[in-house]
Amino acid sequence: MSFDLHRPNTMAEAIGLAARLGPAARYIAGGTDLVVQINRGRATPQHVIDISHLADLRHDIVQTADGFSLGALTRYRNIERHPAFQDALKLLPEAASVVGGVQVRNIASIGGNIINASPAADFVPALLALDAELDIQGAAGRRSESLRDFILGPGKTGLQAGEILAAVRFKPLPAHSATAFLKEGRRKAMEISVVCVAASLTLDASGKTCLAARIAVGAVAPKAYRAAAAEAALAGLPADTASFRLAGQLAAEQAAPISDVRASAEHRHHLVSVLVQRALETCRQRIAGA
Amino acid sequence: MSRRLLELTINGETHQLLAEPHWTLLHVLRNQIGMMGTKENCLEAECGVCTVLLDGRAVNSCLLLAGQAEGHQITTIEGLGTPENLDPLQQAFIECGAVQCGYCIPGMILTAKSFLDENPGHVPSRQEIREAVAGTLCRCTGYGKIVDAISVSAERRLAKQHKEPAA
Amino acid sequence: MNAEAFRATGRVAGKRLPRMDGIGKVIGKHVYAADFTLPGMLYGRVLRSNKPHARIVKIDTSRAKAMPGVRTVITAADIPAVRYGQAVRDAPVFALDRVLFYGHAIAAVAATTLEIAEQALAAIDVELEDLPAVYDPEEALTNAILVHPDWQDFKVLPILVRDGNMTARTRMITGDADAAFANAYRVYEHRFKTALQHPGYTEPRASVADWDANGNVTVWTNTQLPFDTQTTLSEILDLPVSRVRVIVPGIGGGFGGKLRIGVEHYAALLARNTARPVRVLSTSEEELIAATPRQSAVVHLKTAVDRDGKLLGRQGRIIVDCGAFAGSGPAMASVSLQVLAGPYRNGTLALEGIAVYTNKVPAGSFRAPAGPMANFAVESQMDIIAEDLGIDPLELRLRNIVHEGDKGPSGEELKSVSVEECLRKAAAAIGWHDRKPAPGRGKGIACSWWMTTGGSSGVYVKIDPDGTATLVSGAVEIGTAALTGASQVLAEALSLDLDDIKVAGVDTQTSPYDYGAQGSRTAFSVGNACLAAAADLRQQLFELAAKQWNITTDGMELRDKQVIAGNKTIAIAELARLSRLSGGGLIAHGTANSPGPAFDPGRVENHMLPAWNTPSFHAQAADLSVDSETGAVSINRYVVAQDVGFAINPTYIEGQIEGGVSQGIGQALSEEIVYQNGRVMNANLTDYKMPTAMDVPEIECILVQSASAAGPFGAKGVGEPPCIHPPAALANAIAAATGARMHSLPMTAEKIVKELRSARE
Repeated sequence: MSFDLHRPNTMAEAIGLAARLGPAARYIAGGTDLVVQINRGRATPQHVIDISHLADLRHDIVQTADGFSLGALTRYRNIERHPAFQDALKLLPEAASVVGGVQVRNIASIGGNIINASPAADFVPALLALDAELDIQGAAGRRSESLRDFILGPGKTGLQAGEILAAVRFKPLPAHSATAFLKEGRRKAMEISVVCVAASLTLDASGKTCLAARIAVGAVAPKAYRAAAAEAALAGLPADTASFRLAGQLAAEQAAPISDVRASAEHRHHLVSVLVQRALETCRQRIAGA
Repeated sequence: MSRRLLELTINGETHQLLAEPHWTLLHVLRNQIGMMGTKENCLEAECGVCTVLLDGRAVNSCLLLAGQAEGHQITTIEGLGTPENLDPLQQAFIECGAVQCGYCIPGMILTAKSFLDENPGHVPSRQEIREAVAGTLCRCTGYGKIVDAISVSAERRLAKQHKEPAA
Repeated sequence: MNAEAFRATGRVAGKRLPRMDGIGKVIGKHVYAADFTLPGMLYGRVLRSNKPHARIVKIDTSRAKAMPGVRTVITAADIPAVRYGQAVRDAPVFALDRVLFYGHAIAAVAATTLEIAEQALAAIDVELEDLPAVYDPEEALTNAILVHPDWQDFKVLPILVRDGNMTARTRMITGDADAAFANAYRVYEHRFKTALQHPGYTEPRASVADWDANGNVTVWTNTQLPFDTQTTLSEILDLPVSRVRVIVPGIGGGFGGKLRIGVEHYAALLARNTARPVRVLSTSEEELIAATPRQSAVVHLKTAVDRDGKLLGRQGRIIVDCGAFAGSGPAMASVSLQVLAGPYRNGTLALEGIAVYTNKVPAGSFRAPAGPMANFAVESQMDIIAEDLGIDPLELRLRNIVHEGDKGPSGEELKSVSVEECLRKAAAAIGWHDRKPAPGRGKGIACSWWMTTGGSSGVYVKIDPDGTATLVSGAVEIGTAALTGASQVLAEALSLDLDDIKVAGVDTQTSPYDYGAQGSRTAFSVGNACLAAAADLRQQLFELAAKQWNITTDGMELRDKQVIAGNKTIAIAELARLSRLSGGGLIAHGTANSPGPAFDPGRVENHMLPAWNTPSFHAQAADLSVDSETGAVSINRYVVAQDVGFAINPTYIEGQIEGGVSQGIGQALSEEIVYQNGRVMNANLTDYKMPTAMDVPEIECILVQSASAAGPFGAKGVGEPPCIHPPAALANAIAAATGARMHSLPMTAEKIVKELRSARE
């Protein structure tokens, strides 16, 4: 393994470098995914372009009239501790706080984790459940794409050559909404998810009927998915155990897990229905408690 | 690929060296500069023995390219305390019996320091401490006395803060 | 030996004093083997097999040798065909005509940088032809596929009974078990399985070797057994023992995984070929595919009881999976039988231990080797019996445990028996009266006994004219603070403070012999040797004082760092100075040895450790909750009551208990080296799951102190027992919480869900 390290100052410079160096170049931010891949021989870039310092690539969390915008360099630890995410958007710190150890969360960027497109990434389902949009900077300018469309499969995204993921945006939740993120692994920390589930639930003013739900499931398919059938079924159903159980079953039907050293496909299947049901129940309790 | 000049600020001192671009900060610390307090084990950010502070925040030096550390303040265990003037965390680790083989301890102490510095006015619960150090594996102690040491250190820090404004 | 002459005053021995090497460790100055370097050092790496069992068709190193920066490449063809080992000398340095497991060393390279060494490994051209392999230990016993077709050619200890893949068989027989079973009220029969567990030390195995101009080799390494490593190296290198020098800088944990030669021989051979110092440092992957994890085992256990739950007999067989080389397997097949017998009056016994080869990683002795696997079986079954008979599990144990003066399973007399006290204290502390406090929550208990490994220890103790003493020991401080404990014993005996003692590092050339940092013996045995040295020094001090005062030594005392006779006093420091003038300075050699007790040879067959030295007794209890849908286990509380004889330093004894329990929790719930078709599927710390701070509960320690006759101030071995019970205690608590009875380790959430489902169906 050996490569040249480039440290441009702006996104334009970085994109220019990437265009010049071609497919042998990779961007690096926190490096917690890429360096492991390089060490294991799974990535062999000849050029690594450090984008962790770009003056115009944000690492902050900004609240706008239209919701939130998270700079792609935002670190997990900052999300965990952000005061705006402790209520309705609780799924964000819940998902951020279970990514590796604190040392990783102090440096790993959310943008890098999205680009890495691991099927088991914890933060991706959380963002999927918020219908996140991505701002992507390329040579020709800036474009937007929904996260749902952006991730194509394990390690594959819609990022075009030279493009940099700049920010992640999502809209505020409607009234009477709450979110939750749940994950299972063998240990209580330092786990790659066996299954992870993110949910956002909106009830009517009485708190008795589901108006809308967004459910995202990770680690049980080539890419995290939205449980569309479960979401559709929930609309209009009473916010009770039977409805949530049904949603869990429908979400599990969509799963296509593999068996590996972490868990069997059968167990993963089972956990999807349990965790989806629980995540929805947690949302319901949070709405009632708010 | 060719080596290039690297300038790192480690424990307040500037170090210049010729480095290959793919070298990690851990490699540079141990094998180029000869600072062995930062330990080496899994090289995949799973064990935490290589923890250093980057601008005061704990990071795994095994996955950080040395070139990316340029322009940042790097603190290693050698920068924390001396035998005559131990950092309060170092003192508490000794007093509480939190040290056994000691190989994880430099990383553990720096992980704890980063955590306590995040919120200086707060004495964390034992559970919060456990969450904070979960990225650093210790095989000897079962963690209980490490949690004791961090907890004691946080209490003392707060007591000192209360005392100082009055003085 | 003069231990009786000293009594602990509580001034130093018994106190919670900080460990002696603490400051160096917290400031990052302590040098570990992995930190040790020499100028001009080369980097060594080992090429390992990527197939589990294959014929070596070709090894071509020419391309690697030609690479710039590569200084040497060695294979089996370059060195004498020495086989080394413990009970069975079956292990060559490199694979000979066949590779026997995934990870088997094929070649080693030394180069100017680690990267070049790694590139050189990739440039070695190896052609392997797959052979049929055997992975299952029970299948291996059929001998359909032989791991070592030449097994009869190996040099072995005469005590061993062997046959093909079976590399040892031992038995423990008491009374007529068949008759007892025939007359039993009930008979219970179960099968339990345990998994391979890596010791998990945070410092990888590391060695630096360097040859001097006279053909002597020095190896700086993180071994627990420097003298054993010295001997093995002398055999491999074909040198007299005295020309091999082993120095142990700091060692980042061992837990049994650094007992036997690991990478020292590669470093020494590469250094000899290149005339340069060479360092070899294991990678995480090598640790998980080619270190010496705890053996896995299959246990069949059959127990006969009467109507009241009184044990009438136990029959059983434990199969210890050695992997490709015997290692400690034969000894562990032996030791496991005492653990299977348990601290119980069994009535009759017919136990068999078998060690068997398979095409997997050669396993070894991890902390309390054989303990957890046998205890998991016997203590799980005790609860199954209690449940079936409607007897409280604690009560069933109390009806059957051994008491003072009972005979142990080898017919030896048991002394200082404290299992009842341990059980009662652990039960009281966990709140045993409320064993199933809520749905999904339950408590479990397990008890056991364990030896204090014997073996001899020597120390030199030297007193300097400033009145301080230096302890020179061949025992390695692996982190337990055992040498702080031994120093407390020494300081106590010499009327010094702990600050007055220094400990010299281990160097086989200058340190007196020690049997090594293993078997819960260091503080015990080195402490005893310190007492012997202190007795000698005291006599020397008295004689110097007598000469100075021109009186006899009658009635002299050593107190407050001085010799006292009536109203005369003279400081130890002054006597040390006087000794330099005429006596060559104050120094003493103290030794200790701990032979096992007398036993009945008629009760054991081919058993390598028939009678345990100074056994300790203990009980552990867990309170946990199980999520019935996800199977996740959360431990609410964990209590240990352990008889330590005399707590030399309670802080570090608690440290041993807490650390041992957390390793046991790992074995119980999350850790295993996973094989699929002979390949390791989780050779990294992402998927080899050791407990984090979030996985280990607060552990409450109760130190029972039932003094032993043999240990310093009554101490017993401490380090190993804590990791024996967690699998059984947690299994019993899981059963109490859910009704699910787990028969195999690790008890993962997935297995628990499966068990709960099959119980429902």
